[in-house]
Amino acid sequence: MIYFYFLLWLAIAATTLAARSRRVVHILCGCYLTIHAVFIEQLLFGGEYLTTSGIFFTFDEAGTLFYILLAIVALFVFWHSEEYLKDDAIEHYRLYFSLLMLLTTAITGVYFANNIAITWILLEATTLCGAGILYYRRSKPTLEATWKYLFVCSTGIAIAYLGILLLCAAAENSSLNYTELQGIIAQGNPLYLKVAFILILTGYSCKMEIFPLYTIGVDANFAAPAPASAMISTGLVNAGFLAIFRIYRLFADTPVFGWVQNVMLLTGILSLIVGALFLRRTNNYKRFLSYSTVENMGIAAIGLGIGGTGVWAAVFHVVCHSLIKSSLFLQIGIVRHIYNGYRINRIGDYININKVGAIGLLVGMVVILAFPPSPLFISELMILSETITAGDWWLTALMMLLMCIVIYSVCHRVIKLCYQPNQDELHISNINRRLSYSALILMLGAIVIGLWQPEPLKAIIDSIVNM
Amino acid sequence: MVLTLIILYVITLIYLSTVERFRNYASIIAWQGWILLGIALLQLHTLNWVELGFVILETLIFKALVVPAILMNVIKKTNINRVSTSGTSQFNSQMLSIAALIVSAITTYYVADSSVHMLFFGVALYALLSGLILIVLRSRIFTHVVGFLVIENGVFLFSMAIGVEMPILINMAIMLDILISILMLGMFLTKVDDKIHADDSDSLTRVKD
Repeated sequence: MIYFYFLLWLAIAATTLAARSRRVVHILCGCYLTIHAVFIEQLLFGGEYLTTSGIFFTFDEAGTLFYILLAIVALFVFWHSEEYLKDDAIEHYRLYFSLLMLLTTAITGVYFANNIAITWILLEATTLCGAGILYYRRSKPTLEATWKYLFVCSTGIAIAYLGILLLCAAAENSSLNYTELQGIIAQGNPLYLKVAFILILTGYSCKMEIFPLYTIGVDANFAAPAPASAMISTGLVNAGFLAIFRIYRLFADTPVFGWVQNVMLLTGILSLIVGALFLRRTNNYKRFLSYSTVENMGIAAIGLGIGGTGVWAAVFHVVCHSLIKSSLFLQIGIVRHIYNGYRINRIGDYININKVGAIGLLVGMVVILAFPPSPLFISELMILSETITAGDWWLTALMMLLMCIVIYSVCHRVIKLCYQPNQDELHISNINRRLSYSALILMLGAIVIGLWQPEPLKAIIDSIVNM
Repeated sequence: MVLTLIILYVITLIYLSTVERFRNYASIIAWQGWILLGIALLQLHTLNWVELGFVILETLIFKALVVPAILMNVIKKTNINRVSTSGTSQFNSQMLSIAALIVSAITTYYVADSSVHMLFFGVALYALLSGLILIVLRSRIFTHVVGFLVIENGVFLFSMAIGVEMPILINMAIMLDILISILMLGMFLTKVDDKIHADDSDSLTRVKD
């Protein structure tokens, strides 16, 4: 079934590339999103959920949950993109939407792939589509960021492929199906398994935006148009998370699982340190939000590292982070339209310029910092409780310290944007309150999940954790 | 015969650490493609036409012809012919390459078990280290692309070391992915040279905190 949808999506993306007017592009975007809606309907109500499509794709719990999130975020990203890029040349405009469709399709494939090689292929495809989106502005900084993104991601993904091959050697089996590997990997050479995990984690870290290759994600978010950054920082990051999570689950029955958890813990801590420190250092609001992603993915990695309820918390954290971060990136896109830049030390007085947008950012600040009623409060509390239960007081103390730095940095930066006197030129006519309201919807969705977690959501995360 | 080809492959990797002209880099990559073709053909267990066709496509067409042609095209367009003088010296580069060879041999001796082909494993590891050394030590971004290609060739050798036979569809998709990424790297390298006039990675400093 999925192959049919892939063909449809690819056909629409190709047609978009040939569109001669914005209206046609908008219609094609509508068609593209409608097909996603039909696909979701078929998944949930058409009996396709938990079935296999062909030999390479399975509509499992994890894939379905993250796919639904992707579709929700994509709806807002496409809408904001249309407004955000409305003054640009049609050639660039249609290429952007075509690449955005391809990126969304590749991410969809990553979510549902049941084969490590297919996951790898589609992750590499996201690099190629992402590079085109990054170069949208065709300026020197975006060219530099695109070059770095393409080169480091390609090298990283090549290293991940080496890890996949080593995993095959350890399993002494050519089957790269996750389910089949799970049964045979436990008897593999422990040294090969360890090296394979390190290589795969290193390679995929450029997608999940965690240590060591997190810088590429930050550069990508900086260079891409803000709505596309919302997609990269959520949909693509989730693809990286899911790719790593599937490998993590694969190792659960092996004798090296304790070691794998320690590696995840160390990666998470290092990401949290990097995120916390660079949140203070950067002078660009988009890079600032990207470092916040590094920090949050670090927390998710720590959740996987400590195990137990930490794994549940990690998945829940990533799910809620998608709604919050996409909302913040969309809000910051509106900020760019007004100030024509993201310079932290220059722009300000946003509360008097666009009250709705400023409230969106202030609410976003509270929610991303995990203050109640933020859903991140639940996940971070669960992770901290797990570290305390395990007696890892040093980890609890370190996390608390780093979170204090994060709280200070985020509050300082967001309040500055809303209240400090503005020193940059203003483009008041570009204020679009409709977009600010729409981005707030995603944030409200996250807050609702913080106050009340629906039973189906809890059940699906339970299934993912016990996958 | 395989041993001879493997030795030739190692020689290309050592030579890679000594060359300074970009045309030589492109030639080495082409030679590696030819050697990999020979190794892959000798490793074929049975004469399966589909498998044979794919091996020829991946090694001869892609690695030995198309990729070097892309590199030559980039050299022609950018007009950059030599590695930057700001990089490390040839002697240091050679020493590091030989050290990498020794480390690969020792690691293989202690690590490789019956599930992998020891010789291929060692050379693949050496190729991976050579690629990384090239990326880290040389400052020209063209050399970084060559480093990436050396790593890709190392990965190809490694897949032979463990004897993985993936479905042809997956192999094709992997090859296509890599080909497009190399095409895009070549395209953006030319653009970087055109727009930023930065042939050294040290000049790429606009995007930072």
